[in-house]
Amino acid sequence: MIHVSDLSVHLGKSQIVHNASFDALAGEITVIVGPNGSGKTTLMRALSGDLPYSGTVSINGHSLNHLKLWQMAEMRAILPQSTSLAFPFTVREIVKLGLTSGRSLGTAKNVEHLPDEALEMVDLAGFGGRFYQELSGGEQQRVQLARVLCQVWQPVLDNQPRFLFLDEPVSSLDIKHQLIIMEIAQSFAKRGGGVVAILHDLNLTSMYADRVVVIHKGHVDCAGTPHEVLTDERILRVYECALKVGVLPAGQMPFVLPQSAAI
Amino acid sequence: MSEAVLTKHSAPFARRDSAKGRVDGDRSFLARFVIALLGLAFAVTFLFSLTAGASDASVVSVIGTLFQAGNSGTDALSARDSIIIYDIRLPRVILGSLIGASLAVSGAVMQGLFRNPLADPGIVGVSSGAGLGALSIIVLGNSLFAPIIAFLGLYALPFAAFSTALAFTLILYAIATRRGQTSIATMLLAGIALGAMATAYMGVLTYIADDRQLRDLTFWLLGSLAGASWMKIAATTPFIVIALLVSPFLARGLNGLALGEATASHLGIPVQRFKIIAIIAVAAATGASVAVSGVIGFVGVVVPHLLRLVIGPDHRYLLPASALLGASLLLLADAVSRTIVAPAELPIGIVTAAVGAPVFLWILLRKRGILDL
Repeated sequence: MIHVSDLSVHLGKSQIVHNASFDALAGEITVIVGPNGSGKTTLMRALSGDLPYSGTVSINGHSLNHLKLWQMAEMRAILPQSTSLAFPFTVREIVKLGLTSGRSLGTAKNVEHLPDEALEMVDLAGFGGRFYQELSGGEQQRVQLARVLCQVWQPVLDNQPRFLFLDEPVSSLDIKHQLIIMEIAQSFAKRGGGVVAILHDLNLTSMYADRVVVIHKGHVDCAGTPHEVLTDERILRVYECALKVGVLPAGQMPFVLPQSAAI
Repeated sequence: MSEAVLTKHSAPFARRDSAKGRVDGDRSFLARFVIALLGLAFAVTFLFSLTAGASDASVVSVIGTLFQAGNSGTDALSARDSIIIYDIRLPRVILGSLIGASLAVSGAVMQGLFRNPLADPGIVGVSSGAGLGALSIIVLGNSLFAPIIAFLGLYALPFAAFSTALAFTLILYAIATRRGQTSIATMLLAGIALGAMATAYMGVLTYIADDRQLRDLTFWLLGSLAGASWMKIAATTPFIVIALLVSPFLARGLNGLALGEATASHLGIPVQRFKIIAIIAVAAATGASVAVSGVIGFVGVVVPHLLRLVIGPDHRYLLPASALLGASLLLLADAVSRTIVAPAELPIGIVTAAVGAPVFLWILLRKRGILDL
């Protein structure tokens, strides 16, 4: 599991994350929500080992400070919010970069087919030969997810769970692919891995999160099940927006919820 | 749709297209084939270069000399050929191969490091540093720096060029590194500033130079492989060979870096250590090359560029392919420079620029779509 306690992060002179504490368990999707600028991404960068911090962050009992980069790369893979690519790589070459970090399935023969499987999972079968830069933003995001999946193909390795860190994984995706990506995350968690995702969509959050961590002005406002966390009072206080949970729009106005896909 | 979404991905690992055959987007086979081809081309160019020159040591006599070196002797003509081959052409061809490979590989590494296809070793201050060192010796050699000349003799110039190149790189590195993190962007900008400073000092040196010195420094700045000797090879080989041997270990890091520094470190690549190794290797290899041959432009930018169009940017293949193509192209350019105005010689920098720049433009025009990516 990911254990975070009393985590504080500074960027320059200003403190972005204040004494955050929460756990993200294997077998669960932990969703971090909060308004823009609340410190979600900074928090995730600290969990990724990109930023210096004070407090404790550990993966499966190992403090990040004592892990080498290659050891972390075996335990967790990170989907960044956006990726700029320097040279004209093909989609397959990008996805294969995920295989270069340590142990996915052992020998080259065993991993040969992983890029194809990963691309099929993210609904990009047959895209291997395309140039990455020719793809749309949403397709690029899914290529990066396929790369990340290749890095931690088995959710459990040596009886230790592995983790997916997803920073706004569905931000530029249409509704179908939002659902596909969340299903991939759920499947990863069901098979024993852990997922930590930043989401803005509260409906998707309520649909897929096992645990929600609400970040407000750099503090953990609360952590719990979607049921416990998503209340009128909290949404008003954190998002400064008077929304009502579970209220249908008046009259004939059409509305579409992702939940309807599962019914 | 929900059914499709859910059923397809509830068991995402079950299905796999078992159809084998052509793998889209995998250029590794093509890349290996191209490397083999380039190896062959290099061997041919190497032999061809031994035969080309002001003297008409023919293909047959060259091969004869190479293979019957032990029991030669009586024939005066073949003795003359033997001297031309062993003491003039062979060192020159070996030096040309080393420098061509080093310029091209350094260019490929710098482009990967700076994530910019137009970067070249000049950016880390090597060229301007080396130029300043060389010009100082040429112009101030019999005044201010006379003791150095007295001490190092003919090696004063390469030594000065190499040490100032390395010094410039280390200064840039120190400027760009804060709290253990080297900012590539800062290094690029500081490199431009330092380069401008060096150019200003070089301008002063050019201004105070006399006629003979002006001629010398112009030739040095144009680049030349003339004056290659076994001693020069011995002096440069360690730096270039070490850099070439290190480069395969840089490939994975450069590939990761194409996705950005953060993602590279998420993949387990020790980015900071990697940057230090890459910068030092490039500075040493380019410094050594520039020190003995002057400024030979174009090879470091165009060779990796050309190869990326053919085999893609995967550095595991790009680096060895660059070494082979860089060596071959520089040998060809040198052969041209030796023969086109024979028995005189054109500086090789003129040849590489005169031939390379139009080729470069032609590629740009034809492949604009891919280069924009």
